[in-house]
Amino acid sequence: MSLTRRDVLLAASAGFAGAALFSPGSARANDEALDLVKQLTGRTATRSDRLRLIMPAEFPTGYTVPMSLDIESPMTEADHVRQIRVFAPQNPIVEVVSFQLVPQRSLPRVSTRIRLAKPQHVVAVAEMNDGVLLMTTAWVRVATDGCA
Amino acid sequence: MTTPTPRVIVPSAAAKGEIFQVKTIISHEMETGLRHDDQGNVIPRKIINKFVCRYNNSVVFSVDLHEAISANPFFEFSLLATESGRLDFVWEEDGGAVYALSHQLTVG
Repeated sequence: MSLTRRDVLLAASAGFAGAALFSPGSARANDEALDLVKQLTGRTATRSDRLRLIMPAEFPTGYTVPMSLDIESPMTEADHVRQIRVFAPQNPIVEVVSFQLVPQRSLPRVSTRIRLAKPQHVVAVAEMNDGVLLMTTAWVRVATDGCA
Repeated sequence: MTTPTPRVIVPSAAAKGEIFQVKTIISHEMETGLRHDDQGNVIPRKIINKFVCRYNNSVVFSVDLHEAISANPFFEFSLLATESGRLDFVWEEDGGAVYALSHQLTVG
């Protein structure tokens, strides 16, 4: 069987669509993350550099992907992070973990290990004491399904 | 399944106002409820669903764990040394079992 021009075009467009779908840090990924947070919390989040979600861009296994979170906050009674939630939109169960913090007692820095089913943008949301939601995402490509 | 065994790494002393690191791990399979056995039956979910750290009986850090936390859940977090006393660490498992450790901290 020889490849026709049509086959080549189809393959090329599929490849292109695939690349667009998985391109890290795209505007679309940002919109999707904001929509997801809106769906899950009923509130609108703002993307913020104060929130850092540190994960490897590529990881061989989806079973134990390292994840660290670090948020700029004075953690005073008047200005602190109340809760941090993490979502994996392409996992069979989207909600991954939530951390509750206490002003003047704990810091908004935490590390753990999570399962990822497939390459995706992991979403972290920090809920501040005034109810503001700050959001960031990290693109992670895993080679194996950690949820199977 | 092996009995879940918790471990913590915490300093025994800290200066007042110092930030200290806490590392915790509990050996646990974290069965997600998404897998099937050889006969095709769903293996029921059994995970650690809650972790709480108390400092002299006040909650200072807590975690709600869902299915996507890896087996042998590990957390590293930071606390502020305010006064000498006891740190309590509690892990709650689906079905109600509780695993706990405590640690004495001297704040000078």
